[in-house]
Amino acid sequence: MFFTLLLNRRLNSTIQQSILIDIKLIEECRGGNFNNFRKLVELTTPFAYSVAFRMLGNEEQAKDVVQETMITIWQKLKKIKTSEVYKTWIYRVVVNKCYDQMRKRKRNPEFIADELTWALIANKVSEGASEALENSETSKIISLLTERLSPKQKAVFVLSDLEGMSNDKISEITGISKSAVKANLYHARKSISERVEKYI
Amino acid sequence: MKPESEKYNKVVNLLRESKPVLVSSDDIEREVMNRLKRVHHSGLYLSEVVDFLFGWVYIGWVRRSLIAASIVLVFVFIYQQSIILKRIDVLSRQAVIIDKENAVIPSVEIEKLLMVYKNSGRRFPSKTITISERQMKELVESVNELQIKYKELEELIEGDPELKKLIEKKLIEYNRLRINL
Repeated sequence: MFFTLLLNRRLNSTIQQSILIDIKLIEECRGGNFNNFRKLVELTTPFAYSVAFRMLGNEEQAKDVVQETMITIWQKLKKIKTSEVYKTWIYRVVVNKCYDQMRKRKRNPEFIADELTWALIANKVSEGASEALENSETSKIISLLTERLSPKQKAVFVLSDLEGMSNDKISEITGISKSAVKANLYHARKSISERVEKYI
Repeated sequence: MKPESEKYNKVVNLLRESKPVLVSSDDIEREVMNRLKRVHHSGLYLSEVVDFLFGWVYIGWVRRSLIAASIVLVFVFIYQQSIILKRIDVLSRQAVIIDKENAVIPSVEIEKLLMVYKNSGRRFPSKTITISERQMKELVESVNELQIKYKELEELIEGDPELKKLIEKKLIEYNRLRINL
């Protein structure tokens, strides 16, 4: 009993400490501490990149989005009400930057699906690959599966099914209502399912 | 009905487990920091110049003095405006302004001026009539001239009975014509 309590207390303190450190770091950056911002960039980049890459299915574009996001963060960090909303805000900035990138890409479409790529995906899925996919493979799969989706459907699918977020959180990030999130997710899943059934 | 199939779940699971690997995170960091430094430095330079030029307004006593001075200036402005408005109101009630030059005009002339003004007031029903001193003098002179000419004409007519009769006859005809019209 004593040990359980001690362990819980230790766990709680560890969690609180990590949150406190993060908030402290964000607060310092909000106060204009430019040197600490490097640390914040280091911490923020991985999950910003993950969302951007999964939404765009392109490494270079995802990197550009991350760079733009970090610059926007530095410029507007003082405007967020509290440090607690930082993560949600980051996701929102990333998603909006991805929308911009998609709009640009609409004018210059890059990726063309071919039989070979579909065969590769089918092979990976049927193999039941235990190893994680490489970036290039992930990029191809995402591009093929989500190319018919609207930007909102793409964002909702990535945040929900790939990043594992709740509908409330997605609604908060994307700025669309919960019912719209559900509807977009339904259509995204349906479209992807159809493509998976058809080609794989 | 759920649209997801087994294949769909497999694909999504595969994608979920394959977290995108950011190979060149250092490059991104460096690039971001470099871009921000450029912005940061240019911003600093500008702020330094602004501080140098206008920084003195942040000194406490300077700021308080400026506030006091501005309040005083506002009150002075309001006082001046009220005085000007009062003066304008007074002046607008005066139809003819008689300044020191007019004071040289003899009292008989002033009486004439007043009479002309009085008569002209009947013609122009507006409350205020403003005419210049020069115009007033011209008017008085023309009235005087007219009076002299009238007296000369009267003397002339009195001295010539035939002329008097002719004029009386003409006047009667003229009056008839006016009535007929």
